[in-house]
Amino acid sequence: MPQPVKRRIDEYRIEIERVPPMRSRGLVYANRAIERTIEHDNVLQQVVNVACLPGIIGPSIAMPDIHWGYGFPIGGVAAFSLDEGVISPGGVGYDINCGVGCILTGLEEKDAALHTEVLLAALFNEVPSGVGSKGGITGVTEKEFRRVLEQGAGWAVRKGYLPAEDLDAFEDGGCIPGADPDAASARAYERGMPQLGTLGSGNHFLELDVVQEIHDRKTAEAFGLFEGQVVVLVHTGSRGFGHQVCDEYVRDMIAASARYGIDLPDRQLACAPVRSREGREYLGAMAASANFAFANRAIVAYLVRRAFERVFGLSFERLGMRMLVDCCHNVAKVERVEWEGRVVEACIHRKGATRALPAGDVRLPARYAVTGQPVLVPGDMGRMSFILCALDGARETFFSACHGAGRLLSRHEAKRVSRGRKILDELRHKGIRAMAASKATLAEEIPDAYKDVSDVVDTVSGAGIARPVARLRPFAMVKG
Amino acid sequence: MPYALVDHTADMALRVRAPSIEALFAEAALGLCEVLDARTSYPEETLRVELEGMDMEDLLVRWLQEVLYLVGVKGFRVYTVGRIAVAGTCLAAELEGAFGCGTLALEVKAVTYHGLSIERDGGDVTATVVLDV
Repeated sequence: MPQPVKRRIDEYRIEIERVPPMRSRGLVYANRAIERTIEHDNVLQQVVNVACLPGIIGPSIAMPDIHWGYGFPIGGVAAFSLDEGVISPGGVGYDINCGVGCILTGLEEKDAALHTEVLLAALFNEVPSGVGSKGGITGVTEKEFRRVLEQGAGWAVRKGYLPAEDLDAFEDGGCIPGADPDAASARAYERGMPQLGTLGSGNHFLELDVVQEIHDRKTAEAFGLFEGQVVVLVHTGSRGFGHQVCDEYVRDMIAASARYGIDLPDRQLACAPVRSREGREYLGAMAASANFAFANRAIVAYLVRRAFERVFGLSFERLGMRMLVDCCHNVAKVERVEWEGRVVEACIHRKGATRALPAGDVRLPARYAVTGQPVLVPGDMGRMSFILCALDGARETFFSACHGAGRLLSRHEAKRVSRGRKILDELRHKGIRAMAASKATLAEEIPDAYKDVSDVVDTVSGAGIARPVARLRPFAMVKG
Repeated sequence: MPYALVDHTADMALRVRAPSIEALFAEAALGLCEVLDARTSYPEETLRVELEGMDMEDLLVRWLQEVLYLVGVKGFRVYTVGRIAVAGTCLAAELEGAFGCGTLALEVKAVTYHGLSIERDGGDVTATVVLDV
């Protein structure tokens, strides 16, 4: 594979020159601070590898929260022609539709401050978290579970877990069409069924934030945001169901790649033509996994609302709790994008990236038609997060934006750095309460392990992909 | 120690060294179980595993995926790898251990094919496997 040859285009973009066998160039969104964080990483090689895959249209894109993944980089976006292009399970990742949702409340920081400890304990007790967590809801039969896979967040509405008016806050209305429950194995069901309505572990979290600063007052008002407001972020995905689906389809696609004569720079990039039997089967299984994840976050949101209701003694409606947005981070979908001045349908892979539809896009729900889509950018657990609004510049990224701060340190390195430190006390000194199912997770997720999210936001903002609307400050969290 | 953890920004890589391919497969499984905190000192049951891979690397991934499944989903805790035979791209092995319900130390989502290698190094065999955590 060719080594990446990079050239800075402007303050926010770096181009990676197209050198055979690359089929397109690379385009990395990075200001100079972000560039320094990826200088000694292998991640640009992964951008090059993706650019070598058949049928890629437009550049192999990397968002500023990019970091070394397996196969595709994390923070990678790539579009593939439906006729000549491919679909790659490794380009989506194991945690299919890992994503984040934001629940607004009508509470102010002073209301919550009196109850933080109790609220945190209630959330910790209410939402199963940690390694292999199970039992968020019980009594879901296999027949019912298949409906979850077909209907996603819509199933949660029908079962009373999600208010109907929250459904359009979900990407694609919380359901990716074409889900095929039969395309997932018995093992996927075995792993996934008991885990519906759970947070999991690793970088998954529940976070209570306060809106610290409004950057764009008009859009903030349209989004329902105000200074001092308490909001909740929910970060989880398709749990063991998606892991198993990805596992099995990567394996199948390695054989398929050989059958279709696709030369792979890394086996994890295994793929098949989008329209092939293998490609269609994976799309069906992936959509089922993505719908599991939508339903999972909808149920976790229900458990969050229940915890708030118990602590404050008021209904969630009285507490002003409603979804702002819920979006996928790891997904491949057939979407309409702009390429070479035309609107075309392409298979967009987002691995550690989020969709970002600007104002006027017909796919937006009515409430965001004028503003553009809210884009959540969670930072690390000790500093800040952002709510952005998608801009027209997102056309250049196939309507995609960054998904978070991006890891800086490996989990191993983070544990080394945190050895001997009292992470909970450090957070407490910053006014942040945390509960974690595992101390190891807390050590792996220390703030130092992540890039400064403000550099990430500066880049997407400078590149015209999305503008900041509000900055959030965390004050309580549950880590898996 | 026959295995070591290697840095990888997003994930975790397991590097294993052993004098034979059978020992390599056994040590890789035990290394994975150490990382997960899925070892036991009570060999109460023996599980037989038979697998076929596309090649040796694929066989190693499938073997570790099987161990991950038995540990993560079935709650099996591993005492040791008993008899193990690798012939061509086929494996037959016995996992000795016990079913338990202790919490695992880490959620390994998957054993990946990224950066996967098995190499002869003098008389030893070395493998590197990236885990998605």
